[in-house]
Amino acid sequence: MKEKLEKFFKIDRRWIFLLLAVVLFVPILKPLGLPNKTISRDTQNAFNYLDKLPAGSFVLFSLDYDPSTRPELQPQAIAAIRHAFKKNLRVAVVTYIAGSTGLIQQIFEKLPAEYGKVNGTDYAIFPYMANATAVMTQMASDFYGIYDKDQDGRDAKSLPVMKGVKTYKDMAMVVNITGTSMLDFWVAYVGDKYKVPVVGGVTAISQPGYGPYLQTGQLKGLIGGMKGAAEYESLVKEPGKGTSGIDALNLAHLLVLGLILTSNIILLVIRYL
Amino acid sequence: MTEPWMIAGAWLAAGLTIFLFSFLYRDNPFFKIAEHLYLGAGMGWWFQVYMFNIWKPKVWEPLMAHQWGVIIPAVLGLSLVTQFIPKISWLSRYGFTFLMGYGAGLAVPAGLSTDFMNQIAGTIRPFSALASMTPFAIFNSLLIALGVVCVLFYFFFSVEHKGSVKKVSNVGIYFLMVYFGAAFGNTVMARFSLLYGRFDDLASFSSRGSFYATQIILAVMVLYFLVTGFTKKPQQGEEEAH
Repeated sequence: MKEKLEKFFKIDRRWIFLLLAVVLFVPILKPLGLPNKTISRDTQNAFNYLDKLPAGSFVLFSLDYDPSTRPELQPQAIAAIRHAFKKNLRVAVVTYIAGSTGLIQQIFEKLPAEYGKVNGTDYAIFPYMANATAVMTQMASDFYGIYDKDQDGRDAKSLPVMKGVKTYKDMAMVVNITGTSMLDFWVAYVGDKYKVPVVGGVTAISQPGYGPYLQTGQLKGLIGGMKGAAEYESLVKEPGKGTSGIDALNLAHLLVLGLILTSNIILLVIRYL
Repeated sequence: MTEPWMIAGAWLAAGLTIFLFSFLYRDNPFFKIAEHLYLGAGMGWWFQVYMFNIWKPKVWEPLMAHQWGVIIPAVLGLSLVTQFIPKISWLSRYGFTFLMGYGAGLAVPAGLSTDFMNQIAGTIRPFSALASMTPFAIFNSLLIALGVVCVLFYFFFSVEHKGSVKKVSNVGIYFLMVYFGAAFGNTVMARFSLLYGRFDDLASFSSRGSFYATQIILAVMVLYFLVTGFTKKPQQGEEEAH
Protein backbone atom coordinates (compact mmCIF):
# COMPACT_ATOMS: atom_id res chain seq x y z
CA MET A 1 0.00 0.00 0.00
CA LYS A 2 2.67 2.47 1.11
CA GLU A 3 4.86 1.69 -1.90
CA LYS A 4 1.94 2.26 -4.21
CA LEU A 5 1.13 5.60 -2.59
CA GLU A 6 4.77 6.68 -2.68
CA LYS A 7 4.70 6.29 -6.45
CA PHE A 8 2.40 9.33 -6.50
CA PHE A 9 5.30 11.54 -5.45
CA LYS A 10 7.49 10.22 -8.24
CA ILE A 11 4.95 11.03 -10.93
CA ASP A 12 6.49 12.62 -14.03
CA ARG A 13 5.64 16.31 -13.62
CA ARG A 14 4.95 16.56 -17.34
CA TRP A 15 1.61 14.86 -16.66
CA ILE A 16 0.72 17.78 -14.40
CA PHE A 17 1.78 20.25 -17.12
CA LEU A 18 -0.49 18.41 -19.55
CA LEU A 19 -3.38 18.37 -17.08
CA LEU A 20 -2.97 22.09 -16.45
CA ALA A 21 -2.85 22.80 -20.19
CA VAL A 22 -6.08 20.84 -20.71
CA VAL A 23 -7.78 22.58 -17.78
CA LEU A 24 -6.83 26.01 -19.13
CA PHE A 25 -7.60 25.21 -22.76
CA VAL A 26 -11.02 23.57 -22.37
CA PRO A 27 -12.87 26.75 -21.25
CA ILE A 28 -11.48 28.57 -24.31
CA LEU A 29 -12.98 25.99 -26.65
CA LYS A 30 -16.17 25.58 -24.62
CA PRO A 31 -16.87 28.41 -22.12
CA LEU A 32 -18.46 27.12 -18.93
CA GLY A 33 -19.82 30.50 -17.81
CA LEU A 34 -18.74 30.12 -14.18
CA PRO A 35 -19.87 33.25 -12.35
CA ASN A 36 -17.60 35.91 -10.94
CA LYS A 37 -19.77 36.87 -8.00
CA THR A 38 -17.48 38.77 -5.69
CA ILE A 39 -16.34 42.32 -6.40
CA SER A 40 -13.37 43.28 -4.26
CA ARG A 41 -13.46 46.52 -2.25
CA ASP A 42 -10.48 47.99 -4.08
CA THR A 43 -11.90 47.40 -7.58
CA GLN A 44 -15.25 48.79 -6.43
CA ASN A 45 -13.46 51.91 -5.10
CA ALA A 46 -11.60 52.35 -8.40
CA PHE A 47 -14.89 52.09 -10.27
CA ASN A 48 -16.70 54.47 -7.89
CA TYR A 49 -13.98 57.09 -8.14
CA LEU A 50 -14.14 57.19 -11.94
CA ASP A 51 -17.92 56.91 -11.91
CA LYS A 52 -18.39 59.98 -9.71
CA LEU A 53 -16.45 62.28 -12.03
CA PRO A 54 -18.68 64.76 -13.89
CA ALA A 55 -18.86 64.47 -17.69
CA GLY A 56 -16.08 66.37 -19.42
CA SER A 57 -13.54 65.78 -16.62
CA PHE A 58 -10.01 65.15 -17.81
CA VAL A 59 -8.53 61.76 -16.96
CA LEU A 60 -4.92 60.87 -17.69
CA PHE A 61 -4.36 57.18 -18.45
CA SER A 62 -0.81 55.95 -18.09
CA LEU A 63 -0.72 52.54 -19.74
CA ASP A 64 2.65 51.02 -18.89
CA TYR A 65 2.71 47.35 -19.73
CA ASP A 66 4.10 45.28 -22.56
CA PRO A 67 2.99 42.01 -24.18
CA SER A 68 4.42 39.94 -21.31
CA THR A 69 1.61 41.11 -18.98
CA ARG A 70 -1.01 41.75 -21.64
CA PRO A 71 -3.46 38.98 -20.61
CA GLU A 72 -3.91 40.56 -17.18
CA LEU A 73 -3.59 44.25 -17.93
CA GLN A 74 -5.09 44.81 -21.39
CA PRO A 75 -8.60 43.76 -20.19
CA GLN A 76 -8.22 46.16 -17.24
CA ALA A 77 -7.27 49.02 -19.55
CA ILE A 78 -10.10 48.26 -21.97
CA ALA A 79 -12.67 48.11 -19.15
CA ALA A 80 -11.47 51.37 -17.56
CA ILE A 81 -11.37 53.23 -20.90
CA ARG A 82 -14.84 51.92 -21.77
CA HIS A 83 -16.02 53.30 -18.44
CA ALA A 84 -14.43 56.69 -19.16
CA PHE A 85 -16.01 56.83 -22.62
CA LYS A 86 -19.41 55.83 -21.22
CA LYS A 87 -19.17 58.66 -18.69
CA ASN A 88 -18.14 61.10 -21.45
CA LEU A 89 -14.85 61.89 -19.76
CA ARG A 90 -11.95 63.39 -21.69
CA VAL A 91 -9.18 60.84 -22.02
CA ALA A 92 -5.46 61.29 -22.63
CA VAL A 93 -3.11 58.34 -22.85
CA VAL A 94 0.60 58.41 -22.08
CA THR A 95 3.11 55.59 -21.73
CA TYR A 96 6.61 55.13 -20.35
CA ILE A 97 7.06 51.57 -21.60
CA ALA A 98 8.04 51.33 -25.25
CA GLY A 99 6.31 47.97 -25.66
CA SER A 100 2.96 49.53 -24.75
CA THR A 101 2.59 51.56 -27.92
CA GLY A 102 1.30 48.67 -30.06
CA LEU A 103 -1.11 47.53 -27.35
CA ILE A 104 -2.49 51.07 -26.93
CA GLN A 105 -2.98 51.24 -30.69
CA GLN A 106 -4.84 47.91 -30.53
CA ILE A 107 -7.27 49.33 -27.93
CA PHE A 108 -7.94 52.56 -29.79
CA GLU A 109 -8.42 50.93 -33.20
CA LYS A 110 -11.91 49.78 -32.24
CA LEU A 111 -13.02 51.13 -28.87
CA PRO A 112 -13.60 54.85 -29.66
CA ALA A 113 -15.80 54.02 -32.64
CA GLU A 114 -18.14 51.99 -30.39
CA TYR A 115 -18.85 55.13 -28.35
CA GLY A 116 -18.64 57.64 -31.21
CA LYS A 117 -15.47 59.21 -29.81
CA VAL A 118 -13.13 61.23 -32.02
CA ASN A 119 -9.35 61.34 -31.79
CA GLY A 120 -8.28 64.82 -30.72
CA THR A 121 -11.76 65.89 -29.63
CA ASP A 122 -12.64 63.23 -27.05
CA TYR A 123 -9.32 61.53 -26.55
CA ALA A 124 -5.63 61.96 -27.33
CA ILE A 125 -2.73 59.52 -27.43
CA PHE A 126 0.75 60.78 -26.70
CA PRO A 127 4.01 59.16 -27.81
CA TYR A 128 6.28 57.01 -25.64
CA MET A 129 8.64 58.95 -23.41
CA ALA A 130 11.74 57.66 -21.69
CA ASN A 131 12.65 58.51 -18.08
CA ALA A 132 9.22 58.42 -16.45
CA THR A 133 10.14 60.29 -13.26
CA ALA A 134 11.60 63.24 -15.16
CA VAL A 135 8.51 63.41 -17.35
CA MET A 136 6.14 63.18 -14.36
CA THR A 137 7.99 65.98 -12.59
CA GLN A 138 8.02 68.17 -15.70
CA MET A 139 4.29 67.67 -16.29
CA ALA A 140 3.63 69.33 -12.94
CA SER A 141 4.74 72.67 -14.34
CA ASP A 142 3.78 72.35 -18.00
CA PHE A 143 2.28 69.32 -19.73
CA TYR A 144 3.21 70.72 -23.14
CA GLY A 145 6.83 71.18 -22.16
CA ILE A 146 7.05 67.42 -22.58
CA TYR A 147 4.17 66.57 -24.90
CA ASP A 148 4.14 69.33 -27.51
CA LYS A 149 2.70 66.97 -30.12
CA ASP A 150 0.36 63.99 -29.92
CA GLN A 151 1.14 60.60 -31.45
CA ASP A 152 -0.05 61.76 -34.88
CA GLY A 153 2.18 64.85 -34.82
CA ARG A 154 -0.63 67.35 -34.14
CA ASP A 155 -0.01 70.36 -31.92
CA ALA A 156 -1.12 69.06 -28.49
CA LYS A 157 -2.13 72.46 -27.09
CA SER A 158 -4.64 73.10 -29.85
CA LEU A 159 -6.45 69.76 -29.49
CA PRO A 160 -10.03 70.26 -28.20
CA VAL A 161 -9.60 67.39 -25.72
CA MET A 162 -6.72 69.26 -24.06
CA LYS A 163 -8.65 72.52 -23.59
CA GLY A 164 -7.90 74.04 -20.18
CA VAL A 165 -5.34 71.37 -19.29
CA LYS A 166 -1.84 72.54 -18.44
CA THR A 167 -0.74 70.88 -15.21
CA TYR A 168 -1.90 68.19 -12.80
CA LYS A 169 -4.30 70.57 -11.09
CA ASP A 170 -6.37 70.56 -14.29
CA MET A 171 -6.70 66.77 -14.21
CA ALA A 172 -9.51 65.01 -12.35
CA MET A 173 -7.51 61.83 -11.83
CA VAL A 174 -4.71 59.60 -13.06
CA VAL A 175 -5.28 55.95 -13.91
CA ASN A 176 -2.08 53.95 -14.13
CA ILE A 177 -2.26 50.40 -15.43
CA THR A 178 1.15 48.82 -15.21
CA GLY A 179 3.17 45.65 -15.02
CA THR A 180 6.13 47.59 -13.62
CA SER A 181 6.74 49.73 -10.52
CA MET A 182 5.42 52.79 -12.36
CA LEU A 183 2.47 53.01 -9.98
CA ASP A 184 4.89 53.70 -7.11
CA PHE A 185 6.20 56.68 -9.09
CA TRP A 186 2.71 57.99 -9.81
CA VAL A 187 1.84 57.78 -6.11
CA ALA A 188 5.10 59.33 -4.87
CA TYR A 189 5.82 61.98 -7.51
CA VAL A 190 2.30 62.95 -8.53
CA GLY A 191 -0.46 61.68 -6.22
CA ASP A 192 1.13 62.62 -2.90
CA LYS A 193 2.97 65.71 -4.11
CA TYR A 194 0.31 67.39 -6.23
CA LYS A 195 -2.78 65.88 -4.56
CA VAL A 196 -4.01 64.21 -7.75
CA PRO A 197 -6.21 61.15 -7.12
CA VAL A 198 -4.42 58.06 -8.42
CA VAL A 199 -6.09 54.74 -9.26
CA GLY A 200 -4.01 51.72 -10.20
CA GLY A 201 -4.28 48.54 -12.22
CA VAL A 202 -1.55 46.00 -11.60
CA THR A 203 -0.69 42.34 -12.08
CA ALA A 204 -1.87 39.89 -9.43
CA ILE A 205 1.77 39.43 -8.37
CA SER A 206 2.18 43.11 -7.45
CA GLN A 207 -1.29 43.48 -5.93
CA PRO A 208 -0.53 42.61 -2.25
CA GLY A 209 2.35 45.10 -2.19
CA TYR A 210 -0.01 48.03 -2.74
CA GLY A 211 -2.05 47.32 0.42
CA PRO A 212 -0.26 50.05 2.43
CA TYR A 213 -1.03 52.74 -0.18
CA LEU A 214 -4.68 51.71 -0.21
CA GLN A 215 -4.93 51.75 3.57
CA THR A 216 -3.58 55.30 3.74
CA GLY A 217 -5.70 56.53 0.84
CA GLN A 218 -2.63 57.33 -1.28
CA LEU A 219 -4.25 55.06 -3.85
CA LYS A 220 -7.97 55.56 -4.35
CA GLY A 221 -8.58 52.12 -5.81
CA LEU A 222 -6.78 49.16 -7.30
CA ILE A 223 -7.60 46.65 -10.00
CA GLY A 224 -5.60 43.47 -9.47
CA GLY A 225 -4.83 40.90 -12.14
CA MET A 226 -7.29 39.14 -14.42
CA LYS A 227 -9.71 38.76 -11.52
CA GLY A 228 -9.73 42.54 -11.08
CA ALA A 229 -10.28 42.97 -14.82
CA ALA A 230 -13.27 40.60 -14.67
CA GLU A 231 -14.65 42.55 -11.71
CA TYR A 232 -14.31 45.88 -13.51
CA GLU A 233 -15.88 44.41 -16.65
CA SER A 234 -18.89 43.27 -14.65
CA LEU A 235 -19.15 46.73 -13.01
CA VAL A 236 -19.21 48.46 -16.41
CA LYS A 237 -21.44 45.64 -17.71
CA GLU A 238 -19.13 44.89 -20.64
CA PRO A 239 -17.83 41.31 -20.38
CA GLY A 240 -14.48 40.90 -22.10
CA LYS A 241 -11.29 38.86 -21.92
CA GLY A 242 -11.13 39.19 -18.13
CA THR A 243 -14.55 37.64 -17.66
CA SER A 244 -13.87 34.81 -20.11
CA GLY A 245 -10.62 34.06 -18.28
CA ILE A 246 -12.42 33.44 -15.00
CA ASP A 247 -13.52 29.95 -16.13
CA ALA A 248 -9.93 28.96 -16.79
CA LEU A 249 -8.64 30.53 -13.56
CA ASN A 250 -11.33 28.82 -11.48
CA LEU A 251 -10.58 25.41 -12.97
CA ALA A 252 -6.82 25.84 -12.66
CA HIS A 253 -7.14 26.87 -9.00
CA LEU A 254 -9.37 23.86 -8.34
CA LEU A 255 -6.74 21.63 -9.92
CA VAL A 256 -3.99 23.11 -7.73
CA LEU A 257 -6.13 22.80 -4.61
CA GLY A 258 -6.95 19.19 -5.54
CA LEU A 259 -3.28 18.35 -6.06
CA ILE A 260 -2.22 20.02 -2.78
CA LEU A 261 -4.96 18.23 -0.83
CA THR A 262 -4.31 14.85 -2.49
CA SER A 263 -0.56 14.96 -1.92
CA ASN A 264 -0.98 16.07 1.72
CA ILE A 265 -3.52 13.34 2.44
CA ILE A 266 -1.25 10.72 0.84
CA LEU A 267 1.69 12.05 2.86
CA LEU A 268 -0.31 11.77 6.08
CA VAL A 269 -1.42 8.23 5.20
CA ILE A 270 2.17 7.18 4.44
CA ARG A 271 3.49 8.70 7.65
CA TYR A 272 0.85 7.72 10.19
CA LEU A 273 -1.00 4.66 8.90
CA MET B 1 -9.95 37.51 -46.41
CA THR B 2 -7.16 37.89 -43.86
CA GLU B 3 -4.20 39.95 -45.00
CA PRO B 4 -1.03 37.94 -45.74
CA TRP B 5 1.03 39.79 -43.12
CA MET B 6 -1.57 38.94 -40.48
CA ILE B 7 -1.37 35.24 -41.45
CA ALA B 8 2.42 35.36 -41.32
CA GLY B 9 2.19 37.04 -37.91
CA ALA B 10 -0.17 34.35 -36.64
CA TRP B 11 2.19 31.58 -37.81
CA LEU B 12 5.18 33.31 -36.25
CA ALA B 13 3.42 33.93 -32.93
CA ALA B 14 1.89 30.44 -32.75
CA GLY B 15 5.19 28.83 -33.78
CA LEU B 16 7.32 30.72 -31.27
CA THR B 17 4.83 30.07 -28.45
CA ILE B 18 4.70 26.34 -29.14
CA PHE B 19 8.46 26.11 -29.64
CA LEU B 20 9.08 27.75 -26.26
CA PHE B 21 6.46 25.64 -24.48
CA SER B 22 7.98 22.50 -26.04
CA PHE B 23 10.83 22.77 -23.51
CA LEU B 24 8.37 21.62 -20.86
CA TYR B 25 8.47 18.24 -22.58
CA ARG B 26 12.10 18.08 -23.60
CA ASP B 27 14.94 20.29 -24.83
CA ASN B 28 14.90 20.45 -28.63
CA PRO B 29 16.25 22.48 -31.57
CA PHE B 30 12.95 24.33 -32.05
CA PHE B 31 13.17 25.67 -28.50
CA LYS B 32 16.75 26.73 -29.14
CA ILE B 33 15.71 28.60 -32.31
CA ALA B 34 12.96 30.45 -30.44
CA GLU B 35 15.29 31.22 -27.53
CA HIS B 36 17.97 32.73 -29.77
CA LEU B 37 15.42 34.61 -31.83
CA TYR B 38 14.04 36.10 -28.64
CA LEU B 39 17.45 37.38 -27.61
CA GLY B 40 18.22 38.77 -31.07
CA ALA B 41 14.81 40.36 -31.53
CA GLY B 42 15.02 41.86 -28.04
CA MET B 43 18.36 43.49 -28.80
CA GLY B 44 17.04 44.83 -32.12
CA TRP B 45 13.88 46.14 -30.47
CA TRP B 46 15.77 48.08 -27.79
CA PHE B 47 18.25 49.45 -30.33
CA GLN B 48 15.45 50.95 -32.43
CA VAL B 49 13.69 52.25 -29.27
CA TYR B 50 16.83 54.10 -28.19
CA MET B 51 17.51 55.36 -31.71
CA PHE B 52 14.06 56.49 -32.78
CA ASN B 53 12.29 57.22 -29.48
CA ILE B 54 15.12 58.78 -27.52
CA TRP B 55 18.14 59.80 -29.57
CA LYS B 56 16.28 61.16 -32.59
CA PRO B 57 13.52 63.23 -30.88
CA LYS B 58 15.53 64.24 -27.81
CA VAL B 59 18.98 64.91 -29.31
CA TRP B 60 19.08 64.93 -33.11
CA GLU B 61 15.92 66.91 -33.86
CA PRO B 62 16.57 69.66 -31.26
CA LEU B 63 20.13 70.01 -32.60
CA MET B 64 18.81 70.35 -36.13
CA ALA B 65 16.48 73.06 -34.82
CA HIS B 66 19.54 74.85 -33.34
CA GLN B 67 18.54 74.18 -29.73
CA TRP B 68 22.09 73.97 -28.49
CA GLY B 69 21.10 73.46 -24.84
CA VAL B 70 20.66 69.71 -25.44
CA ILE B 71 24.42 69.41 -25.96
CA ILE B 72 24.97 69.54 -22.17
CA PRO B 73 22.81 66.50 -21.24
CA ALA B 74 23.95 64.71 -24.42
CA VAL B 75 27.62 65.15 -23.48
CA LEU B 76 26.92 64.05 -19.90
CA GLY B 77 25.18 60.97 -21.30
CA LEU B 78 28.03 60.24 -23.69
CA SER B 79 30.51 60.54 -20.83
CA LEU B 80 29.05 57.32 -19.38
CA VAL B 81 30.27 55.44 -22.46
CA THR B 82 33.88 56.43 -21.72
CA GLN B 83 33.91 53.68 -19.09
CA PHE B 84 34.82 51.33 -21.94
CA ILE B 85 37.99 53.33 -22.70
CA PRO B 86 40.24 53.03 -19.60
CA LYS B 87 42.39 56.09 -20.44
CA ILE B 88 39.49 58.53 -20.33
CA SER B 89 37.11 56.54 -18.13
CA TRP B 90 37.38 59.26 -15.45
CA LEU B 91 35.08 61.37 -17.62
CA SER B 92 32.20 59.03 -16.81
CA ARG B 93 32.26 60.33 -13.22
CA TYR B 94 30.66 63.59 -14.38
CA GLY B 95 27.73 61.74 -15.91
CA PHE B 96 27.33 59.50 -12.87
CA THR B 97 27.61 62.47 -10.49
CA PHE B 98 24.76 64.17 -12.28
CA LEU B 99 22.68 60.97 -12.33
CA MET B 100 23.25 60.32 -8.63
CA GLY B 101 22.54 63.88 -7.57
CA TYR B 102 19.44 64.10 -9.70
CA GLY B 103 18.20 60.64 -8.67
CA ALA B 104 18.81 61.15 -4.96
CA GLY B 105 17.26 64.61 -4.98
CA LEU B 106 14.16 63.22 -6.64
CA ALA B 107 13.85 59.94 -4.76
CA VAL B 108 14.81 60.77 -1.16
CA PRO B 109 12.15 63.42 -0.31
CA ALA B 110 9.44 61.54 -2.22
CA GLY B 111 10.39 58.23 -0.62
CA LEU B 112 10.50 59.72 2.87
CA SER B 113 7.12 61.31 2.46
CA THR B 114 5.33 58.50 0.59
CA ASP B 115 6.79 55.35 2.07
CA PHE B 116 7.79 56.54 5.53
CA MET B 117 5.83 59.49 6.95
CA ASN B 118 2.55 58.68 5.25
CA GLN B 119 2.76 55.02 6.30
CA ILE B 120 3.42 55.93 9.94
CA ALA B 121 0.54 58.40 9.82
CA GLY B 122 -1.68 55.77 8.16
CA THR B 123 -0.98 53.31 10.97
CA ILE B 124 -1.62 55.83 13.76
CA ARG B 125 -4.45 57.92 12.27
CA PRO B 126 -7.29 55.39 12.87
CA PHE B 127 -6.67 55.61 16.64
CA SER B 128 -7.73 59.26 16.62
CA ALA B 129 -11.16 58.28 15.32
CA LEU B 130 -11.93 55.14 17.33
CA ALA B 131 -15.27 56.51 18.58
CA SER B 132 -16.66 56.70 15.05
CA MET B 133 -15.32 53.33 13.91
CA THR B 134 -17.10 49.97 13.75
CA PRO B 135 -15.76 47.17 15.99
CA PHE B 136 -14.38 45.41 12.91
CA ALA B 137 -12.54 48.56 11.75
CA ILE B 138 -11.08 48.99 15.25
CA PHE B 139 -9.92 45.36 15.25
CA ASN B 140 -8.43 45.90 11.79
CA SER B 141 -6.50 48.99 12.90
CA LEU B 142 -5.19 47.22 15.99
CA LEU B 143 -4.13 44.24 13.90
CA ILE B 144 -2.24 46.48 11.46
CA ALA B 145 -0.51 48.37 14.28
CA LEU B 146 0.40 45.09 15.99
CA GLY B 147 1.74 43.70 12.70
CA VAL B 148 3.87 46.80 12.07
CA VAL B 149 5.40 46.71 15.56
CA CYS B 150 6.08 42.95 15.52
CA VAL B 151 7.62 42.95 12.03
CA LEU B 152 9.79 45.94 12.93
CA PHE B 153 11.01 44.01 15.97
CA TYR B 154 11.88 41.06 13.71
CA PHE B 155 14.08 43.36 11.59
CA PHE B 156 15.69 45.08 14.59
CA PHE B 157 19.06 43.41 15.03
CA SER B 158 20.75 45.63 17.62
CA VAL B 159 19.06 43.80 20.49
CA GLU B 160 19.53 40.06 20.95
CA HIS B 161 16.33 38.21 20.08
CA LYS B 162 15.58 36.45 23.37
CA GLY B 163 12.87 36.60 26.01
CA SER B 164 9.97 38.93 25.25
CA VAL B 165 11.79 40.44 22.21
CA LYS B 166 11.96 36.96 20.68
CA LYS B 167 8.26 36.39 21.33
CA VAL B 168 7.31 39.66 19.67
CA SER B 169 9.60 39.03 16.68
CA ASN B 170 8.14 35.52 16.37
CA VAL B 171 4.68 37.04 16.05
CA GLY B 172 6.23 39.27 13.36
CA ILE B 173 7.29 36.13 11.47
CA TYR B 174 3.64 34.98 11.36
CA PHE B 175 2.58 38.33 9.91
CA LEU B 176 5.32 38.01 7.29
CA MET B 177 4.26 34.46 6.50
CA VAL B 178 0.66 35.59 5.92
CA TYR B 179 1.98 38.23 3.50
CA PHE B 180 4.21 35.72 1.69
CA GLY B 181 1.30 33.29 1.44
CA ALA B 182 -0.97 35.94 -0.06
CA ALA B 183 1.81 37.05 -2.42
CA PHE B 184 2.49 33.46 -3.52
CA GLY B 185 -1.22 32.78 -4.10
CA ASN B 186 -1.43 35.90 -6.23
CA THR B 187 1.72 34.88 -8.11
CA VAL B 188 0.16 31.51 -8.99
CA MET B 189 -2.99 33.28 -10.20
CA ALA B 190 -0.92 35.72 -12.26
CA ARG B 191 1.04 32.89 -13.92
CA PHE B 192 -2.18 31.07 -14.80
CA SER B 193 -3.55 34.29 -16.27
CA LEU B 194 -0.48 34.67 -18.48
CA LEU B 195 -0.67 31.04 -19.58
CA TYR B 196 -4.37 31.46 -20.30
CA GLY B 197 -3.47 34.52 -22.39
CA ARG B 198 -1.08 32.51 -24.56
CA PHE B 199 -3.60 29.69 -24.93
CA ASP B 200 -6.27 32.20 -25.88
CA ASP B 201 -3.98 33.50 -28.63
CA LEU B 202 -3.18 29.96 -29.76
CA ALA B 203 -6.91 29.29 -30.00
CA SER B 204 -7.38 32.38 -32.16
CA PHE B 205 -4.48 31.28 -34.41
CA SER B 206 -6.18 27.92 -34.89
CA SER B 207 -8.91 29.45 -37.07
CA ARG B 208 -9.31 28.98 -40.78
CA GLY B 209 -8.29 32.63 -41.30
CA SER B 210 -4.85 31.83 -39.87
CA PHE B 211 -4.62 28.65 -41.99
CA TYR B 212 -4.79 26.47 -38.86
CA ALA B 213 -1.37 27.65 -37.69
CA THR B 214 -1.70 26.21 -34.16
CA GLN B 215 -2.85 22.74 -35.20
CA ILE B 216 -0.26 22.33 -37.94
CA ILE B 217 2.70 23.52 -35.85
CA LEU B 218 1.55 21.45 -32.88
CA ALA B 219 1.21 18.36 -35.11
CA VAL B 220 4.72 18.92 -36.51
CA MET B 221 6.13 19.21 -32.99
CA VAL B 222 4.39 16.02 -31.83
CA LEU B 223 5.65 14.21 -34.92
CA TYR B 224 9.18 15.47 -34.21
CA PHE B 225 9.07 14.16 -30.63
CA LEU B 226 7.63 10.83 -31.77
CA VAL B 227 10.29 10.33 -34.44
CA THR B 228 13.20 11.44 -32.24
CA GLY B 229 11.78 9.48 -29.31
CA PHE B 230 12.02 6.25 -31.33
CA THR B 231 15.24 6.95 -33.18
CA LYS B 232 17.45 9.07 -30.93
CA LYS B 233 18.93 8.24 -27.55
CA PRO B 234 18.98 11.20 -25.10
CA GLN B 235 22.36 12.92 -25.44
CA GLN B 236 24.52 14.05 -22.60
CA GLY B 237 23.71 17.59 -21.52
CA GLU B 238 20.24 17.49 -23.05
CA GLU B 239 17.83 18.83 -20.48
CA GLU B 240 14.44 17.49 -19.62
CA ALA B 241 11.65 19.20 -17.79
CA HIS B 242 11.28 16.57 -15.08
